[in-house]
Parts: sequence; C-alpha cells; structure tokens
Amino acid sequence: MTTAPLALSVQDLTVTYRSRGRVVRAVQDVTLDLAPGRCLGLVGESGSGKSTIGAAVQGILPTDGSATATGTLAIGGRTLVPITDPAWRQVRGREVTTVFQDPMRTLDPTMTIGHMLDRYTGSAAASVEALDRVQIRGARDVLRTYPHQLSGGMRQRVMIALALARGPRLLVADEPTTALDVSVQAEVLRVLRDAAEGAGCAVLFVTHDLGVARSMCDEIAVMHEGRVVESGPADQVISDPREPYTRRLMASRITLETDVTRPAGPPDAAVAASMADALRTQGRDDTGLADAWTAGTLTWARFTGETAAVGAASDRTQVRLVSRVTLPSLSVNQVDKTYVTRRLGRAVAKKVLTDVSFEIRYRESVALVGESGSGKSTLLRIAAGIETVDSGTVSAQGVAGEGTQVVFQDAGASLTPWRTVEQLLAERIAHTRSGRSLTRAAQRDLARDTLELVGLDASVLEARPTQLSGGQQQRVAIARAVVVPPSVLLCDEPTSALDVSVACSVLNLVNLLRHSLGISVMFVTHDLAAARLVADRVLVMTEGRIVEEVAAATLAEDMTTPYGRRLVDAVLA
Amino acid sequence: MPFSRKATLERRTADLAATGDEPAATSPKDGAWAGMGRAERAALIAGSLVVLAALVGPALSPYSVIIPSGAPLLAPGSAGHLFGTDALGMDLGTRLLAGMQRSLGAALAVTLVAAVLGSFIGVVAGFFGGVLDTVLMRVTDLFLAFPATIIAMALAAALGQSLGSAIVGITVVWWPLYARLVRGEVRRVATLPHVLAARVSGVRGWRLLARHVVPAVTPTIAVTASLDIGAVIMTLAALSFIGLGTPAPAPELGRMASDGMKYFLNSWWVAVLPSLAIGLLAFLFNYAGDALRAALRRTGV
Repeated sequence: MTTAPLALSVQDLTVTYRSRGRVVRAVQDVTLDLAPGRCLGLVGESGSGKSTIGAAVQGILPTDGSATATGTLAIGGRTLVPITDPAWRQVRGREVTTVFQDPMRTLDPTMTIGHMLDRYTGSAAASVEALDRVQIRGARDVLRTYPHQLSGGMRQRVMIALALARGPRLLVADEPTTALDVSVQAEVLRVLRDAAEGAGCAVLFVTHDLGVARSMCDEIAVMHEGRVVESGPADQVISDPREPYTRRLMASRITLETDVTRPAGPPDAAVAASMADALRTQGRDDTGLADAWTAGTLTWARFTGETAAVGAASDRTQVRLVSRVTLPSLSVNQVDKTYVTRRLGRAVAKKVLTDVSFEIRYRESVALVGESGSGKSTLLRIAAGIETVDSGTVSAQGVAGEGTQVVFQDAGASLTPWRTVEQLLAERIAHTRSGRSLTRAAQRDLARDTLELVGLDASVLEARPTQLSGGQQQRVAIARAVVVPPSVLLCDEPTSALDVSVACSVLNLVNLLRHSLGISVMFVTHDLAAARLVADRVLVMTEGRIVEEVAAATLAEDMTTPYGRRLVDAVLA
Repeated sequence: MPFSRKATLERRTADLAATGDEPAATSPKDGAWAGMGRAERAALIAGSLVVLAALVGPALSPYSVIIPSGAPLLAPGSAGHLFGTDALGMDLGTRLLAGMQRSLGAALAVTLVAAVLGSFIGVVAGFFGGVLDTVLMRVTDLFLAFPATIIAMALAAALGQSLGSAIVGITVVWWPLYARLVRGEVRRVATLPHVLAARVSGVRGWRLLARHVVPAVTPTIAVTASLDIGAVIMTLAALSFIGLGTPAPAPELGRMASDGMKYFLNSWWVAVLPSLAIGLLAFLFNYAGDALRAALRRTGV
C-alpha cells in the first residue's frame, strides 16, 4: 500500500441542477478513490452523470447558482468544497488538467503550438521534451505550426502534452478520442496512457465505450442515472459484470462478433393477392406481380425480374398506378468530383472522388466505409442530390418512385426545432407524388402508422424535436425519410452521436425498414462493426476511390487491402 | 449619436455573436417573463406605465393640448399645473404626454415599416442569392454610403414641414440596417442541417423560406426593432428640434425643447422637461429591448 495521498477522492458527491423551476439530480452519493498514477474509467450513457463528475472534479461546474453540490472532493490530499471553494483557482489547470473531446475547439487557433506550450514549460527545450513524451517526431517543426495545420490525432497529442506540461496530479480525459478517426484512436489512447504513466499522473477517463475503458483503465466505475452501479478492476467488471445494467451495456455493444440475424422480409401473399385483384378490376396488367406490401395506408407492389415496379396508393382495394420504374435502386457510374476553393485569390482544386462506380440492388444494403476525407460523405451528398457530379452519372429509382432520402448524423440538428413532428411528417408526405394522392385523413394515418413502425408512440406527433431524446429524434428523422418509402435510404453515420444501446436499436430499425418497406440502404460510416450489422456488402473508400469490396458477414477475414486491414484491426483492438 | 449607423451595425453584429451559435434553436414561445431578472421586470413595468400614461393622459387631462389654459405664462410647477406652463400659458404636463404619444406613434411606424421592408429585402437577398442578392445589396450599400442625417433632413425638408415627412425621411435611411443584418442571418441559417434536411425531403422555395428559415431570424428582428425604437425617437426629436417635423402648435418633444431654449435662463423647465421626456422614452425602450434579448437568449438555450 502506498502512503502518498490519493490523487482523487470523491466522498458522497451529489450535484443538482436547477433550471426554470425544474430540479435535476445529475449525480447522487458518488464515492470514488483514485490512487496516484492509476487510471479510473468512468463509464456510462449520456445523462448518467459521468460528465458532471468530470466537471466537478475540474472545478468547472457553473457558479451562477444553477448548480449546487454537497459532499467533498480531495485532490492530492487537499480537500475542496465543490463549486464554491476559492482554492479551486490554485487547483484548476495546475493540479487538475483536462483533455477535451475536440482539440480543434480547445486549442487556440491564433497561437502556435510552441507559443502555447512555452507558457507552461518555460522554455523551447522543455517544450520539445513535452512533445517527445507524447511521441511526436520532429517536435521542433511542430512547435512552429498552428493547430489547423495538424491532423486530428496530432492535435489531440498536443492537447495531452499541454495537459501534462505543468505536472498535474490528475488528468481528466473526457471522451478524448470520440472526435477522431478509428484508426488513430487506439494510438492516441496508448500515447495518453504512456505519457500519463511517465509523468506519474492519475487519469480520470470519462467515456461511453466499455471496450475503450477496458483497454485504457486499471479500474472502472459504471454509472447509471447519477449513481455508480458497479465498480472494480477493469477486467473483472468487463468479463464478469455483476449488475444487470452493466450486462445490458455490454450486450448492446456492437462488435465484429455481434450476432447478425436479420428479420425476414414479409412476402405477404395476402397483400399480393388483393393487389393483383385490385389491379385486374381496374383493367391493369398484373402479370409478373412478385410481391406487395403495405406501410400504413400505402400499398406498393413489385414485379418480377427486378426490372419494373409499380407504386400504388391508397388502401389495398383502391390501387392506382403511380409510376413504373426500372431497377436497380441506385447506380453510380464513373463519378468524378473536384472541389475548387479560393485561397488568397488563387483557385485550389481538390479531387474528392475518382472514377467511382457501384450499384445498389433492390432491397440491398451497402455500407461505404472510410475515414474522414475519404469522399464517402461527398458520395452520399451526390446520391442525395445535394451536390452535383463533375462527370459520370447517378440514378436512383424506386418502387414508389421517390428517389433518395437522407438520415443525417445529427438528428437533433436535422429537425427544424419549431415545427412539430406531425408538421415535419406531413410536409414530407405532401411533397411526394404518392403522398399527394392520398386524402387528408389517409395522410394523417400514414404519419401515425409510420411512427409506430419506427417504434414511437403516436403522442410524439404533437411534440417538437427539442422535447425528444437523441434516440427519439433519430427515429423521427428516419420516420420522415421513410414515411413515403424512398428507393434508397441514405444513412450518414446515423448512430455515431447516439448511446450504444440506442445505436444498436436504430441499426436494427434500419434493417427492419429495409425489409418491411422494400427499400435499399446506403450506409456511410467509419465503424466496421456497425457496417457489418446493417449491410450486405461493404465498400471501402480511401482518397476518393473505392479500393475494396467484401461481403459484410465475413469482412473480418476477407479484408485484404492494407487500409481495410487497418480498419479491422482498429475495431478488434 | 442617433445617426452613427456603422457603429450600431457593428454593435448589433457583436450582440448577435454574443447570443451564442444557435439562436436558430430559439423558440420564443414561453418563459420569457419567467427568465427575467427583477430589474428587467421593473423596467418593463415602468415602460408600460409610461406608454399607458402617454396614450390616455392627454384625453384625461382637464387642459387642452393646443389651447392656452388662461393660466399665467411660463409659470413654474404648482398644484393646478404640475409641470408648469409654457410661453403661451398651455399646461406643460399635458403637452409632454401628448408629445410622448406622438413620438411613440411615429417611432413605432418608422420601426415597423423599416423592419418589415428591410427584413423582406434581406431575406430575399440572403435566401435566393445570385444576381438578386447583388442588386439588392448594392442598392442597400448605396443608402448606407451617404450620411443618414443629411438624407433624412433633405427628404424631410423637401417633403414639407410635417410629421409625415419626418417619418418618411427617417424610414428611408433606416431600412438598410435591417436588410444587411437579416441577409447575413438568413445566409447563416440556410446552411444549417435542418434546412438541408427539409430541402432533401422536398420542401423548396418560399415554403422552405417561410417554414424553416424565417422563424429562426424573427427573434433577431424583434430584438433589433425593440432596441431601435429608442434611437428612432431620438432621431425624430432631433429633426423637429432643427425645425423639420411637426409644425406648431401641435405638441412635439423636440420642437418644444427648441422653443423652450429662448426662455431657458428664467424658466428652465420649458426646455429641460421635454428633453428629459425624450431621454426617458429612449432609455426605457433600450432597456426593454435588452431585457427581451436576454430573455430570448435564456429561453433559447
């Protein structure tokens, strides 16, 4: 046992927020101990109180009276009253330092790295040493650069160097790799761990990811609804969780071992039969009718050969031909795209897509995997019709003939905050051909049924997006996209901003919708595990080209390109 | 001071920046009152009382606004005439209230027309962009390029001495501020994800503008307009102080102050009280505007 004082000791900490008459108890009776030089992982979903503890320990809870706290904190043996203690001024930034989520926002864009570091280290030589410790090669050159000239991983290393420069007792790392590409995450975590160990600094590691916490921490405390529900040595908590909540959290993680059983498609013979009847009674050709399905009050039918399809409206007995289109759902042919930006009056061209071709078949799901800057998002925007191509063709055709729809990464931001869910859905219905062909009442029913389909209660109709949780917002965004089924549902990292348990259910929802509504899916992500769960095929993109195509189910074994392997290793690590 | 438009524009831009990144998320529905501090509430109540007094005071007063009361000329305040009488023996208190009523009405008219017209031009230019944007903004720049005081004075003088011409003169120089401000806001809002998402789901043109863009900009317009009323009151008073605006004997605060200057040494109140009334109105509206902005910012979070 060590006789040195604990790096951090939290006793019965309770934090309450008060805003506009509402009182929220964010943290309740939390007790934590952290020995010098050790690493404690604080794991929980959003709203579990983990970030509030992080803020309390740094002494940065709001001082305007909106937050109150009881209990005590001790940092390096020095006891502090939460929030109000004047001694926080000596502690903050000296005894306790922080590595935030997004280094681009926390590094001062107007200063060079050297300028920032020298203020803490005192000399350029010491700054070089500080950068060496976070394994930055060519430290002298890096000192002369500005934050925007560095990559995300380098920036976060600089952030770690800054945080350790003053020799703190405790480093609070709040989701330090969430904003980084997967392949550099592991590296940054290793650097953080080694550097903190070398400096003898304890780390409070706040994260939502149990896997990351395990590879990083000596001990783990799992938080749920403001309380620590389970704590202990990292390996024990992960491999042998005692509490049901921890087990649930572990189970909802999406890994390359996650069981992929997909809901079967609904080959609804009854619907197909009544559809054929309806078509015949209207004197329409029903030969080759393969299957038909309903979503609420809309009914669609597909003809064999995957060559033609018909979109039909209203209820089963009142089928009207809306459109006849050709499959495949999405075909992208030799697409090139170059962005031209002006820098100091000179045009700078950046090629983002080079000769990209692929097809998405009817009811197929294809994942595009790549890191930021690989061109995958540009491709999605082109398929969505938001961007244009320089050369090549893109065509999307669907059963309902309504082109493509997008589910954006940040659902909260993609829903207009002052419009109700009902208005948002109604608007989408009113702007489609098959939607317009419905009566008012049928349109309302369709909105209601679609909400049910995505797993939301009809009472959500009256709500505004700001009144919903992140998961509910993403479901509403999906409902808007599929209320009239598009040919292709384009998903732009729809789960990266969500908690694991919610993320998993959203991925399952996408799968379910694909089969029950007969839509194809293009899923853009950097997360191979998620890609494996939702996709049939995975396309790997790097530097604007598709470099590899593998079947999703066996991607871990089949990936051959070095870049693909790196992605696999990043997930396995 | 009231004419320093460049400075006002900069100040407003700074104010907007201070309201945080996402005024778009503001839904100014409820809670504005609950979110206010004691001083802000007091200012709003005081402002309402002053406005109420100006609206009903002249009608309730026993004295006429434009007919001498028969009382001694230039009498100091007394039980019969709380604020004394002016050079023609008219009750000063009644005339002050009537003058405030006029100022308020005129300032509201100017602000409303300037805000609506300017915002419309700004919204159209910012949303549709292209040639339309270039043309509208160059016209706006043209108006901003000349000293506003001179244009307003010239217009008011050319249209003849009346309250109407002063209103027209000031409105003509006031709308470009809104056009500039709103154009910038619309351009910013139009790039937000929710607008993109609405576009993808098929909403286009005026409908997209009205449902997904403009509501994000209206709080900004409302706050700017409420802050502007004070400045417009000052400007109107300044114009009538130099003889443009309402002709005598109608009560107008600026004119009353300038007429009172002649008697300043013996009867200071005839000049000072109208000036104080102008200051009071301007102060109250500035404060109310600030309170509104602060409240919106809080509810917007």
